[in-house]
Amino acid sequence: MNLNSVSQILDFAIEKEEEAAQFYRNLAAKMGQQHVGEVFESFAREEMEHKAKLLAVRQGNMTLIDSQRVTDLKIGDHLVEVVLSPDLDYKQALIVAMKAEKAAFQLYQGLASSTDDANLKGILLTLAKEEARHKLRFEIEYEENFLREN
Amino acid sequence: MSEGEKKQLDLKRREMPKQPPEVRRYNFSEVALGYTPELAIEEAKRCIQCKKPSCIANCPVEINIPGFLKKVAEGDFVGGIRVLKDKNCLPAVCGRVCPQEEQCEKTCVFHKKGGQIAIGRIERFLADWEAQQSESEMPDMPPRSGRKVAIVGGGPAGLTVAGDLIKFGHEVTVFEALHKMGGVLVYGIPEFRLPKAIVNREVEYLRKLGVELVTDFVVGKTRTIDSILEEYDAVFVGSGAGLPWFMEIPGENLNGVYSANEYLTRLNLMKGFLFPKYHTPVKSHRKVAVVGGGNVAMDCARSALRLGAESRIIYRRSREELPARLEEVENAEEEGVIFDFLTLPLRYIGDENGWVKAIECQKMELGEPDASGRRKPIPIEGSEVIYPLDAVVCAIGNSPNPLIGATTPGLKIGKKGNIEADEKTGATSREKIWAGGDVVTGAATVILAMGAGRFAARSIHEYLSSL
Ligand SMILES: Cc1cc2nc3c(=O)[nH]c(=O)nc-3n(C[C@H](O)[C@H](O)[C@H](O)COP(=O)(O)OP(=O)(O)OC[C@H]3O[C@@H](n4cnc5c(N)ncnc54)[C@H](O)[C@@H]3O)c2cc1C
Ligand code: SF4
Repeated sequence: MNLNSVSQILDFAIEKEEEAAQFYRNLAAKMGQQHVGEVFESFAREEMEHKAKLLAVRQGNMTLIDSQRVTDLKIGDHLVEVVLSPDLDYKQALIVAMKAEKAAFQLYQGLASSTDDANLKGILLTLAKEEARHKLRFEIEYEENFLREN
Repeated sequence: MSEGEKKQLDLKRREMPKQPPEVRRYNFSEVALGYTPELAIEEAKRCIQCKKPSCIANCPVEINIPGFLKKVAEGDFVGGIRVLKDKNCLPAVCGRVCPQEEQCEKTCVFHKKGGQIAIGRIERFLADWEAQQSESEMPDMPPRSGRKVAIVGGGPAGLTVAGDLIKFGHEVTVFEALHKMGGVLVYGIPEFRLPKAIVNREVEYLRKLGVELVTDFVVGKTRTIDSILEEYDAVFVGSGAGLPWFMEIPGENLNGVYSANEYLTRLNLMKGFLFPKYHTPVKSHRKVAVVGGGNVAMDCARSALRLGAESRIIYRRSREELPARLEEVENAEEEGVIFDFLTLPLRYIGDENGWVKAIECQKMELGEPDASGRRKPIPIEGSEVIYPLDAVVCAIGNSPNPLIGATTPGLKIGKKGNIEADEKTGATSREKIWAGGDVVTGAATVILAMGAGRFAARSIHEYLSSL
């Protein structure tokens, strides 16, 4: 893995988004309950949207915006790992997604801390933030649906 | 009311007698004791009979509220119960468990001044008064239509559909998985809030009307909906939301960690608190933590207290956000339930025999308001606390059991495992199948389940009449 330039980093990130989409598509195909399959399909589509966004950035048609601080609700952090099987439900699907996004966030954070090049560090941290934002979106969905404590 | 007739408005809600907290926390008898006829009449007389009653608009089944209040004010209880039952077939239940403070009473014209009419208490009084009379009135029954309807689940949704359809002249059978009819009303809500005798009375009334009640029959296992449809013209699914959620944190499979469903069912349906007279005991615990903040959590915490434990509620948000009815929160506080707000369980800790012995929690703070203006709780690093305990009850929510969806091809199921049905008619994606109540909305309220049942009954009746 060579990550010595912005374009190499973007290529890497694009590949990661594709892998993530594939991961969700594979899960979708294995689900016993159709409505859970559809949930994973929708996650895969979100990854493809990210991929499209990164492609646009690489082609110079868009810039990555790194403005707001991303809140970490830490909802997924203490939850037990879901054992992947065909009879997952919506709640477990969201846990899988929160954990996957957290892992992606940590990957970019780790890469950022291993380079001294300010430019590369900047782009890696921005990518980390994108993943954190995606995790937050799953955390909110999880909270609104499964942490109403009612 | 003209200027001349303007009389002094009476803004004083009449209190309903209750068992004192220090007495009731040691027994399972009903907490509230109900109005006397005198109190009911006094309270009903406070209603000013608004021309455009805002209370009715906020009642999910549109009871003619000023109508029955007027009858009570006149001392005509027979007339009052007739008006009430015209729209609500379970008034003794609704008078006890409906969140009136969020519905009719909230929009009563006196609400702003804190003197809203105690509509729920009067409803409850009327229903109890009727029960004390020798026989309740039986309605005139129409000729039989020869059409047959099967109902899955004997909770408030299913029972409402059964009552309405039998009165339309159809033959009705209710298939219930448990050994008793009533759904959450019998296995969930505890005796001290809703005496089981009341639910049994309503079920008996349906039996007298001619509804066939079949228990210990799990649709999807004993027989599928499609096989039932070979014999019946239509099916209504009111199977509720009985699949408990857990926190998905480490230690949840330790002994002593219960779902609210299991805990309350052992207590209510199997009469665990009357062990050894009844067979399934509830282990007596010393310190119980209940995770959650809704009515279910309050019921569990107050039950634990009555079984002699120190009982605490662990809730992730603050008191203002508690989803439980305020009245029940206050009852719990008076009885001595401890509340830990802004507290999140992280893990359960077990002893060498696999029993839970402690819970580790983290304190939360409310973060910046989000787009909707709500402030989400965020963990405070380093604020972890450990509470010793010997039981945990998880009361954070439920979803519908997947069995019916999995055994009924073509029945459209939503993300959360709920059956998708038309809000106004209860019609599902499958012909001849209707659904309503918690199985469609997810865990909600008794009155909403009954409202959905009423809509569905009307739609099923239209369908049967067109055959
Ligand atoms: C502890 C607790 C406290 C509550 N407190 C309140 C309150 O104070 N106020 C309020 O308004 N609401 C309260 N609720 C919510 C309310 O009870 C429910 O919203 C309501 O009962 C839903 O009615 P239902 O008929 O849809 O389902 P349920 O009452 O759940 O009934 C469904 C029935 O279907 C049966 N069933 C399930 N699957 C099958 C099958 N495959 N075959 C045959 N039968 C099946 C079940 O055994 C059950 O009897 C409370 C709920 C709980 C759990
Ligand atoms: S809004 Fe209040 S005062 Fe007016 S009719 Fe309804 S209960 Fe009576």
